[in-house]
Amino acid sequence: MTYALPALVFVMVALATVQTLRRAAWWRLGAAAPVAWGAGLLALPKRYLVDVHHVVARDAYASRMHAVVAGGLLAATLLAALAALPPLGGSRIYWAAVALAFGVTAAGAVLVGARRYPKRPKRLSGGGFQILPVLLLAYAFGGLAAALLLAFGVASAPALVAAVALAAGGGLGLAYEVRSGPMRHAVAGALHLIAHPRPRRFDGGAPDAALVALDLDAPRLGVETPADLAWNRLLSFDACIQCGRCESACPAFAAGQPLNPKRLIQDLVAAATADERAYAGSPYPNARDVAAPTEPLFRVIGEGARIHPDTLWSCTTCRACVEECPMMIEHVDAIVSLRRHQTLELGAVPAKAAATLDNLRAAEELGGRPLAARVDFAAGAPLPVIGEREVDVLLWLGEGAYDLRYGRTLRALVKLLNMAKVDFAVLGAEERDTGDLARRLGDEATYQTLARANVATLARHRFKRIVTSDPHALHALRNEYRAFGATYEVVHHTAFLLELVEQGRLAPGALGGASVTYHDPCYLGRYNGETEAPRKLLDRLGLDRVEMARHGRRSMCCGGGGGAPVSDIPGDARIPDLRMAQAAETGAGIVAVACPTCTAMLEGVTGRTAEVKDIAELLLASVEAGR
Amino acid sequence: MTRARRDPRSERAAAARPGLTRPRFELFARESGRRPRRNPRSETLAQQVEGPSRLRLDRAQTGRAAAALAPERAEPAAAPAPTTIVVEAPAFLVAVVPDLAGGRLSLHDRQLFDAARTLAGADGGVIALVGTEGAEFGPAGADRTARVAAPEGYDPDARAAAIAAAMAALDLRHVIFPETPDGGDLARRVAVLAGEPLFADVEMVAAATLMRPARGRRVEQRAAPARLITLAADAVAPYAGAPREARDEPLDTFAAPASAILSAERIPADPARTPLGLADFVVSAGAGVTDFDAFRATAAALGGTPGASRVLCDAGLMPREAQVGASGTVLSATCYLALGIAGAPQHLQGIAGCDHVVAVNTDLHAAMVERAGLAIVQDAQAVMPALIAELAREREASA
Amino acid sequence: MKVVVLLSAGRHPVSGLGALPRLEAQAIRLGAALGPMRGLHAGPDAEAVAEALGRGLSEIDHVALGAGADPVPALAAALRAAAPDVVLAGRRGQGGDETGLVPYALARALGATLIPDVIAARPGSEPGVIEVEQALPKGAARRLVVRSPVVLTVHSAAPEPRPYAFGQVRRGRIEPLAVSAPEEPAAVAIAEKPYRARPKMMRGAPAGGSAADRLKAATGGGEAVQADVMVSPEPREAARAILAYLRQVGVLPPPARAG
Repeated sequence: MTYALPALVFVMVALATVQTLRRAAWWRLGAAAPVAWGAGLLALPKRYLVDVHHVVARDAYASRMHAVVAGGLLAATLLAALAALPPLGGSRIYWAAVALAFGVTAAGAVLVGARRYPKRPKRLSGGGFQILPVLLLAYAFGGLAAALLLAFGVASAPALVAAVALAAGGGLGLAYEVRSGPMRHAVAGALHLIAHPRPRRFDGGAPDAALVALDLDAPRLGVETPADLAWNRLLSFDACIQCGRCESACPAFAAGQPLNPKRLIQDLVAAATADERAYAGSPYPNARDVAAPTEPLFRVIGEGARIHPDTLWSCTTCRACVEECPMMIEHVDAIVSLRRHQTLELGAVPAKAAATLDNLRAAEELGGRPLAARVDFAAGAPLPVIGEREVDVLLWLGEGAYDLRYGRTLRALVKLLNMAKVDFAVLGAEERDTGDLARRLGDEATYQTLARANVATLARHRFKRIVTSDPHALHALRNEYRAFGATYEVVHHTAFLLELVEQGRLAPGALGGASVTYHDPCYLGRYNGETEAPRKLLDRLGLDRVEMARHGRRSMCCGGGGGAPVSDIPGDARIPDLRMAQAAETGAGIVAVACPTCTAMLEGVTGRTAEVKDIAELLLASVEAGR
Repeated sequence: MTRARRDPRSERAAAARPGLTRPRFELFARESGRRPRRNPRSETLAQQVEGPSRLRLDRAQTGRAAAALAPERAEPAAAPAPTTIVVEAPAFLVAVVPDLAGGRLSLHDRQLFDAARTLAGADGGVIALVGTEGAEFGPAGADRTARVAAPEGYDPDARAAAIAAAMAALDLRHVIFPETPDGGDLARRVAVLAGEPLFADVEMVAAATLMRPARGRRVEQRAAPARLITLAADAVAPYAGAPREARDEPLDTFAAPASAILSAERIPADPARTPLGLADFVVSAGAGVTDFDAFRATAAALGGTPGASRVLCDAGLMPREAQVGASGTVLSATCYLALGIAGAPQHLQGIAGCDHVVAVNTDLHAAMVERAGLAIVQDAQAVMPALIAELAREREASA
Repeated sequence: MKVVVLLSAGRHPVSGLGALPRLEAQAIRLGAALGPMRGLHAGPDAEAVAEALGRGLSEIDHVALGAGADPVPALAAALRAAAPDVVLAGRRGQGGDETGLVPYALARALGATLIPDVIAARPGSEPGVIEVEQALPKGAARRLVVRSPVVLTVHSAAPEPRPYAFGQVRRGRIEPLAVSAPEEPAAVAIAEKPYRARPKMMRGAPAGGSAADRLKAATGGGEAVQADVMVSPEPREAARAILAYLRQVGVLPPPARAG
């Protein structure tokens, strides 16, 4: 009877393998993608134990639960398999160890059950996931009983048979669930960590957030059906455990717009699988009507398809879902690829967004305004335009320069640069839009045209580095223009001003007493990992800095990214209103911002109690107070 | 921009003082249309203190000096009534084809007469080609008027043919149309029908040269006046000279050719469905409105297009398309009735183009009250039913 | 119903970069609902109208023509050969002289009826007849039933243009079209210089008024100065004041007379 448990394990492994292979046939529908298998395999333990657990650990209960149940399950199953080796099978000490492992698994299974019963949290999916604790309990307690019987040498055949049968029930169930049930996340997740489409995100350092350039000569642009996605993207969707962390982080979901990242990923899975189980998590808020689920591998987006276009256009590309996903799924990449097909192939863009894209194409500026008017904000203040001479700093003004309110910030910044005697210049009428907005809206063609033109312009001038107050421009210039062979040292104005203060070239005085809370721009914090410089700078101003519940890389979007303001998908609330309410909870009188889009969105909140000020404005006030 | 050319001789004639043996002129009266010119001599005269033999002036007596000027300022009619200018035998005719929308000369129509006067110079005459009788053509600057029969219903080709026929019959040197949807259409029809060149969208008129923009307003073209001209709006001032006689010029009636337009039916604007950007009259609700059925009824009763402030649209109380303001629709309405809207800066940007604003608001210091031509400091909820009741009462009174 | 859309090599009003005029993009959308549609462009460069392919046109005929040549004979010849039922155009072609005469000249050459400012078009109840809706000022419209062939110029209140789709430009075709038409240079060479903006006459300013009067008229301060503020009036009184004001500015018809 000592072979019963190892036999069960072998059957389980065989069943799981069969189920994995069945599922693999589906992954192979996807497009080819280059994968560094060797490096991925070697990096797997680190990616799992460090990167995944760094995210998982944000929910302490889930983290402990997963460590116990997954560790126990893996240990117990491996140990039980070893009983096939003759000297071990007869050792009672060995069986005691097996029993201990199963005991740990059982404890974990209880934790899993306690989370889902009697009432499961809203963000967790139900359905098939609700039987997971049952299977785990059966396997763990069956295995525990069998191992204990063997450890104590109780040779009661009926008891042992009953215990192994219980374990087999649970174990085979778990193995069966590898294809389309909750256990899929374990196998697909491990493979996904090996074959991750963005292996650079595990390297440490700055986040890898630049979108992948699209080949505009490809026969089909963007993603129409799931088969247009790379196979390892399909694999990544299978890694989803439907924990719902993405939906609780998603600003569009919070505002009642019809987007739920979890549902979107599951819809993409279901759009390609004939017999996928029904989704049992929270729906898209205010879900738009779509046609009944269509055949697999049909186009995914459309009013007659599985996902309504409004869902796609609600995304602010803030990457909060990506940041929160313990399975390292890249939701934003999927959304942008879907948008690319809508925009480039079908021209199915929301009306206001289409007008903006027209302007970007025909006027190289999203409001259709003259490029020379970009420097009008300076209103006579000295603003050198770059010439033949090399300058230390090229100041990239960005789209905010056209905005009346943001002009105040830029004037403050220019004044500070002049005070610190920085050798700087602007491009003047040669500066075009970076194309960031076009790119997020899926218009890769316009983006690439603008990017090439900007790269060519920048190549004509000599400068040491670029300073910009627009994190969107910063991200494009620093990370996304690399695809065009252009590498610049790009510094955000907060980091640059901090540098000036640290070098003593600016002497801030104290702005006594006022309390301030800092709103991290997504494209600075999450996209570029810069959360410290603005805070350090604020701390130098003698302000009382308080943090919102969501800050740093886990900050919430202002609602201004990804073209969301121009797509303008109605919801129950507006994202900036929600964010300002969060800021109001801190009691701070000033909300410090560091991005023109955040400024515009948060300034637009009616009836707000706090002032919205850019860090450059605060620094200028403090420098002037210090004189 | 060209000013009407001055004719010193006729001005002098108009200023002649009647009934005197030698010619004497009231030269200051000539300035009646403008800011009164100071006359230091008469001011000094007015400041003279009566009495002692030597001259004494009371410089503090500005009142009397002003009084001396006042009649000129207050009643320019004190100058002799402008006599109608008669051009007995014009050397040639310059025609004006006003739109006459609603049967009246618009500002743009009046500007045509000034352009025509510039082209006619001293020798030519200005003739208005119109479909209706009207007393206003003489003061507007027409020496002659001719009836060009307006076709029944909508038949622009027939109208163009009639004008082309008049052009030939009266040997018109130039015909000037307004560059409006109707006038521009008519001008082009006449141009292809008569095979005459058209100089369109003219922005500057001088006797010998016209200027128009071309190639996306990147260049300006200059040429001697073509036979057919369309004039851009507000390029020249309306005719401001003395009235002219607008004598009727007989014209043969013209038989219109058969039209391919089988039927034409005018669909009046439905205020409830007109896009906000095009609407002429917008009735808009803000946070001060809580009863939306009453609001919609008010808008319908007044015949206005319903709009709303951002707060209401965000709250889902009004559709998003109804949002007025910088982030919604920017209006070009004649009149804007703001019910319970305080007037956030973004909202005021959206109504910057409205000619008239009526505000109903409980806050006397609201920005909208400041912007309004008529401000009612009162609860919009109370005013809406009163408006409906008042309109109903008027209907009953007339029934 | 056979449809041809006339395309011009427009330029963006601010940047001066090539762009399809918005009205022509709207014309493509109107035409798509009527029947099979082709684009037609006469000019030196076919690429100038490639954008139209991304707006829902799949084929464009291009008549090569020297810069500055009068496009009407070539277009008329091409249209006579194609014999469309409906020709759609913007109100004015862009990039050239922009007199807006081309649609009229073509209508005359084809013996077609020209309807300006169209916002909707659909096939009529009987063959050879088309039903169009024409925009009038202030949101009104006129519904016309016209015998084809027709030339329609499009009004900006027509449905929004279809968004541009890059992928469709790749798939669309621009085919050279040879026509036998005398190529004439533009009739009169007109002197041209760079455009210089001139002050416009101010609306509402009193003729011959002072600078202060004109400033007042331009800033709209006139109304606010004489603003009528009623503080806490009776609602009924307020309603009367509002109605009187609305009638004074002419947006509300006067009360109907008895009888």
